[in-house]
Amino acid sequence: MVVGYLMWTGVTQTMTYYLTPIELMDRVEVDPTFHQVGVKVSGRLEMGSWSRDSDELLHHFTVADLEDESVRFPVEYRDILPDTFNDKELQDVVLEGRYREDGVFDATVVLTKCGSRYEASPEELMGDVIE
Amino acid sequence: MIQLGEYALWIALPISIVGAVLAFWGGAKRRGDLVLASELSVYTVFFLLILTSIGIVVAFLTDRFDYWYVANYSNRELDTYFKVSGLWAGQRGSLVFWVLLLSLFSVVATYSNRFKNREFMPNVVGVLLTITGFFLLVLLFADVNPFEKMPFAPADGRGLNPQLQNYWMTIHPPTLYLGFTAFTVPFAFAVSALLNGRLDTRWIVITRRWILLSWFFLANGIIFGMRWAYEELGWGGFWFWDPVENASLLPWLTATAFLHSIQIQENRGMLKIWNMGLVVATFLLTIFATFLTRSGLIESVHTFAENTKIAFIFLTFMGAVTVACIMLIVWRKPMLQSERQIESYLSRESAFLFNNVIFLAAAFAVMFGTLFPLITEGITGQTITVGPPYFNMINLPLGLALLALMGIGPVIAWRKASRRNLVKNFVTPTIVGISVALCFYLLGARQIMALVTFGLSAFVMTVIVVEFIKGTKARSRIEGEGHLVAFFHLIGRNRRRWGGYIVHVGVVLVFTAFAGAAFDRELIQTLEPGESVTIESPLGHNYTLTYQGLSSARGNNLAAKTTALMAVSEDGEPIGTLTAEKRLYITWEAPVTEVGIRSRFFEDLYLILESVSDLNGAFMNDPEAQRATFEVQVNVLVGWIWYGGFIITIGGVITMWPSRGSQKNSNKEKLGQSLAGQNP
Repeated sequence: MVVGYLMWTGVTQTMTYYLTPIELMDRVEVDPTFHQVGVKVSGRLEMGSWSRDSDELLHHFTVADLEDESVRFPVEYRDILPDTFNDKELQDVVLEGRYREDGVFDATVVLTKCGSRYEASPEELMGDVIE
Repeated sequence: MIQLGEYALWIALPISIVGAVLAFWGGAKRRGDLVLASELSVYTVFFLLILTSIGIVVAFLTDRFDYWYVANYSNRELDTYFKVSGLWAGQRGSLVFWVLLLSLFSVVATYSNRFKNREFMPNVVGVLLTITGFFLLVLLFADVNPFEKMPFAPADGRGLNPQLQNYWMTIHPPTLYLGFTAFTVPFAFAVSALLNGRLDTRWIVITRRWILLSWFFLANGIIFGMRWAYEELGWGGFWFWDPVENASLLPWLTATAFLHSIQIQENRGMLKIWNMGLVVATFLLTIFATFLTRSGLIESVHTFAENTKIAFIFLTFMGAVTVACIMLIVWRKPMLQSERQIESYLSRESAFLFNNVIFLAAAFAVMFGTLFPLITEGITGQTITVGPPYFNMINLPLGLALLALMGIGPVIAWRKASRRNLVKNFVTPTIVGISVALCFYLLGARQIMALVTFGLSAFVMTVIVVEFIKGTKARSRIEGEGHLVAFFHLIGRNRRRWGGYIVHVGVVLVFTAFAGAAFDRELIQTLEPGESVTIESPLGHNYTLTYQGLSSARGNNLAAKTTALMAVSEDGEPIGTLTAEKRLYITWEAPVTEVGIRSRFFEDLYLILESVSDLNGAFMNDPEAQRATFEVQVNVLVGWIWYGGFIITIGGVITMWPSRGSQKNSNKEKLGQSLAGQNP
């Protein structure tokens, strides 16, 4: 009972939608209050889009949808980026944060999905060699 | 040698399958020759798997990049040490390593029971060989063969992920795997007991040490993983509630519950079905953890590969095991009735029962949270995740309840605690606990959960210390020994009990360390050489770090490495230096951060080189490229996790140490045990 209660409150208080950029845009259009809600978004980091402010802590970059690259938004992030973050190659990222009314995603967490870095398929490996 | 290893893997599969069939058949028909033949196949499979493992290691050491697995996890300049650990660096090698360890434990279990417990052995061997066979099947037919060749050999391998090039990461997976595989032995005995109907406590007595061994490795494996995360991931934390971490925690939770509930069965003849359920659940969770780590089913910073075929095979296997075990337990239900009922809520039985319920609740909640994205996607088509706050919200109160029970359980009486028993054992510890919490409050600590943890920790510690003092005094009086001698003899005479208390001490330290994190401080600052940053420790003193500059060099397997040097002073007094690095591995594009840690008993000073403004310039030793951003942290009590782990290790070794069962001592030993085991 107690545990059930704990789990229920735990889930309701901490659950976050995990969306693609397209889904996020659709939601915000239907329901503008969605700007206030914390969400998790998975998309592709646009190559060469990263820059940082002069105070050196505010990072800017652009994230696009995996399927439709025209759906994209700028991201602001004020913390340490993971080592694996790299805008010089194709990379998928997961963001947590809030999509502000001004169309900027205010990220509190940035993770990189780096499956390909841990393990490459033989084809990829061969590609490396041919290069 | 490599070829030989590959052949050995292929031969091991039929031998383990035939061996399993012989074992079950020989057991059913009471044919000793068949059973012996099956035991011979246990030894043979182990020998073959050693050849396989040597084959893989040789492939790594000789840079055979024509093998896909080697090409993906090694490169020429990689340290020899990490090349050897390549055996368990990726999914394919890990599966070989897993089955090698299972085979090793099968050999130990078979050999140590070659003259005794024969009524269990045929089915035990059958179960062990079946599981071995299953893993070999996966290895050979699920696209994960470590000996798979590439169409042609690349000039160099892709290298090992730099984050895995860390001492703790080389021992963390093997330790966990030892824990996972060791638990297969108690599971095999439990299934054997169900099959042959010998459902008294015998199977528990036989496997008690195995359960401890498995628990011991799981606990250490988890702690090593925390150590790795703390040193290598570079954000000052040690636990992320990441799916893979959760997966390793789950079997530990149920194994801990099991370790306690078997004591009720041994002493009071209760909870028989429950224990069967726990042993099966824990085994399934070890398989689940093995599979989750290497499947990519759930996104995680740890997952390495996506192979849905393997996910399907593992889930089918787990489903089959679950169904088979449930059927066995239902079939034997009449023989699994409790001999007694719980008489009072104020009793050791009920304390242990609460302990079990909480451990299982925690396991369930963690599992639910881990699988939540999959569940919501399956039901609503919309993925919803829960993050670390969910896990913390649930596990914090559960953890505190367990901490309290850790103080209550060992000293409350069996059956029904009298008023006298309660007063005698709990007044002093309660007073100490409350005073400690109050002291911290008066010193200015306002974090409620941390205060409760400190109070409860003090309560538990007092209970344990009082027990040790009482035991030592009693022994020194009766045997006429000095206090120190009496203390060691006391532990020696009932290792399971006193070793268990020592493990509890370690666990209390780990809990305290978790609470200490509530007081952590951190700040981020960009500095030019000569500038400094000051951080105040919650313990009252100030650390000042003065940035001295960057220097770069090339290292083994590194294209470049730049080191930031900080002069550290405490309240104005210089106390040394601290360095943090950015490394560029030759096989890796992105630079990797190496943190600097200065460890003290109560706190760590933790330095992260967050970024260098002109990293390429810094790598070239450009004197203009010195501007860098740092994060400085003071992490309170974090070292106590490692100290706690060390104490858990000592306690664990004491509980598992084989008793010197010579006839001469046995009377004395019994006397000692009855004295030590008695409760006032």
